[in-house]
Amino acid sequence: MKRRLLASILTCALTASIFMGCGSSNKGTEANSETTAAEQSTQESEESTEKEEAPVQAASNEDLSGTLTFAIWDNNLNDFIEENDMVGKFQEQYPNVEIEVEKIKDDSEYWNAMKMRASANQLPDIMFNKPFTLSRFKDYLIDLSGTTACANNELASGYALDGKVLGIPMTSGYEYVFYWKDMFEEAGVEVPTTWPEFEAAAKTLQDYFGKDNPDFMAIACGLKDEWPDYPYMEFMPALESANGQNWNTMAGQDAPFAEGTDINKAYKKVYELFTSGVLGKDPLGLGNDQVTSLFAAKNAAIIALGDWGLQNIQGGTDDISQLGTFYLPTRNSESDPYNVIVQGDSFMGVTTHSKNQDAAIAFVEWFYSDAWYPDYINYVSSASSMVNFPKEKDPVLAESDTLCPDKVLVMYDGGGDDFTAIQNETTFDYKKLGAQMMTEGFDLDAALEELNTKWAEARTKLGIQ
Amino acid sequence: MTKLNKKRRQFIIMSLIIPMLLLIAFVVFPAIDLFRMSLTNWDGYSPEKDFIGIENYITMIQNKDLWMSLKNNAVYFFIHLFMIVGELAFAVLLTGKLKAAKFYKIMVFMPYIINGVAISYAFSYFFSPINGAFDAILSTVHLESLIRNWLSDPKIVNYVLAFVSLWRFSGYHIILFMAALQSIPQDVLEAAEVDGANTWQLFKYIQIPAIMLMVDFVLFDNIRGALQVFDIPFVMTAGGPGYASSTFTLYTIKTAFTFSNFGLASTMAVAIMAMIVLIYVVQNYLIHGLVLKDRRK
Repeated sequence: MKRRLLASILTCALTASIFMGCGSSNKGTEANSETTAAEQSTQESEESTEKEEAPVQAASNEDLSGTLTFAIWDNNLNDFIEENDMVGKFQEQYPNVEIEVEKIKDDSEYWNAMKMRASANQLPDIMFNKPFTLSRFKDYLIDLSGTTACANNELASGYALDGKVLGIPMTSGYEYVFYWKDMFEEAGVEVPTTWPEFEAAAKTLQDYFGKDNPDFMAIACGLKDEWPDYPYMEFMPALESANGQNWNTMAGQDAPFAEGTDINKAYKKVYELFTSGVLGKDPLGLGNDQVTSLFAAKNAAIIALGDWGLQNIQGGTDDISQLGTFYLPTRNSESDPYNVIVQGDSFMGVTTHSKNQDAAIAFVEWFYSDAWYPDYINYVSSASSMVNFPKEKDPVLAESDTLCPDKVLVMYDGGGDDFTAIQNETTFDYKKLGAQMMTEGFDLDAALEELNTKWAEARTKLGIQ
Repeated sequence: MTKLNKKRRQFIIMSLIIPMLLLIAFVVFPAIDLFRMSLTNWDGYSPEKDFIGIENYITMIQNKDLWMSLKNNAVYFFIHLFMIVGELAFAVLLTGKLKAAKFYKIMVFMPYIINGVAISYAFSYFFSPINGAFDAILSTVHLESLIRNWLSDPKIVNYVLAFVSLWRFSGYHIILFMAALQSIPQDVLEAAEVDGANTWQLFKYIQIPAIMLMVDFVLFDNIRGALQVFDIPFVMTAGGPGYASSTFTLYTIKTAFTFSNFGLASTMAVAIMAMIVLIYVVQNYLIHGLVLKDRRK
């Protein structure tokens, strides 16, 4: 009897120690995983160099086996994967590799999940990144610079960190201003090519359609969600300075928001536009889904979105014959260069936590090969990032190139380690700042001054030169 | 010791040890780990973290946006607190001989069992400035002058969100009160009636003292709920405009995941635990020590 009781107590103690062990052993494991990560990274780099020399052998390699977790957030990619049996097609070449596709609700949720999984050594084998998350996860991604996919990608090497390509961008992301041609024509508005023209066009549209329709918005921007102001708040400083690295430049300055700086000029332009009444009666009360639907129903004349926005607009209307696009004109006059943002989007990378890195690299190679990528890129509205699979733009999106033959591409970088550290320290949230501009009593000069103070303090505290 | 006694003893020991171990593993240990994390600058994904003492606590106290968020929590707290009286009255009404009481019971409890995120989505469309049902109702009854920017006016947004929270949680409190009221022995009530007590006297001298434990629980639940409110403001306004409708939990999550400062977020989580205990102690003192002081004599 006593023995049984003792055995039960010991079992419980053992269970408890397992729970405790799970929690407290992180440090050691993390330290080990870091070393392993470094070793694996070097190993993979060597292996992938070999791969570049003999990609054909790798493609037919039946020795690769295991299960790969492929974590995504993109609804369009998820639909395409399901409709086109991605796993089955991959297994035609790699019969012993299983793929588990893990769909996460949206990109915000994706980063939250990935952060937690990174700290628990549970990252998926293959993950996606945005330009602004590459530096955050750089310790958990292996170098793909030796792969054929990287060699054929026009943007990958431009986003290399310390010479390592940590992800292959799936698409080239361009930003557009979508507009209804018939509404422009009815209000007697020409497609703007400078910022003053853009402001004037928005005001004319608001006055013309707003007099009969109190719900009308010249520019649709769902500020309730905050993020839809990113074409203005995130990209305009880069467009103003023609410097895709503007966040990194700012990280080296003590007062980057001071009068006369590019971000100061850009945000003043945005503030004047947002507060001129062209966003309709209550932009802070509407989210992006709502304003996109209202734009599709022609309750708004203009909406600034990425190329992915075309599919969302098409989902809300059957007739896009009058839909057009132009690039956001941020220049002050026609004599200034017409800067246009381009960025790599959805960087596919292989994580250091993957137990089947060879198979994961093989999957990346396969994904960007003739077997899969051309069909995928033709399915989505985004532009191709692969030089070997060029894609013609959708006629709606191509209009912006016709209207702007002299565009100057600015390759956007989401900000490196120093910028991210300062941003976290100062809690600088440019998307929230854009929404705050619409609140009563908001003082932009005071907000920028406060940011300058915080910025200088953060640089001193973090020791950033 | 007989075999039965041994078995009983064994059962009692196991019944105590297992929950205690589970409590240590899933509550005590994470709480200690949370406190330990609050003294570091961990960013949530880096393998290393530095011990920085009470720096996070100082940063938290100096953060004016966080104080604003806490002020917003107070709106939920006081609105729910005032409503507890109404909830209690409703529970008494439903426990009595009311026609179609079962129907009302279902109706008041229904919002609580519906998913909170779904409710929040539904209400964000209800209060939408364009094609919103609430504005349409006001227009139909010719009260257009009352139409406001329900979700974007910093002066009213917290009250709108607190109303949604009331709609969702009041039914839960009513059901709890009803369960407590139904547990009062009928003979006590009948004896009081025979002695000539009217409805108000029954309520004041018999029902309220008998369900005081439940009232205490609901008051505690109100503090906990008001300080931890998350899903309604997260879905309906994302804490905006600016931080006008942000709450303590919302700000904590933003600190952790948007600004990658898990150390500071842990500090906030520790602070929220301390605040719940502190407010409960103060509230308990005010209610039992001052308001109900005479009754004890």
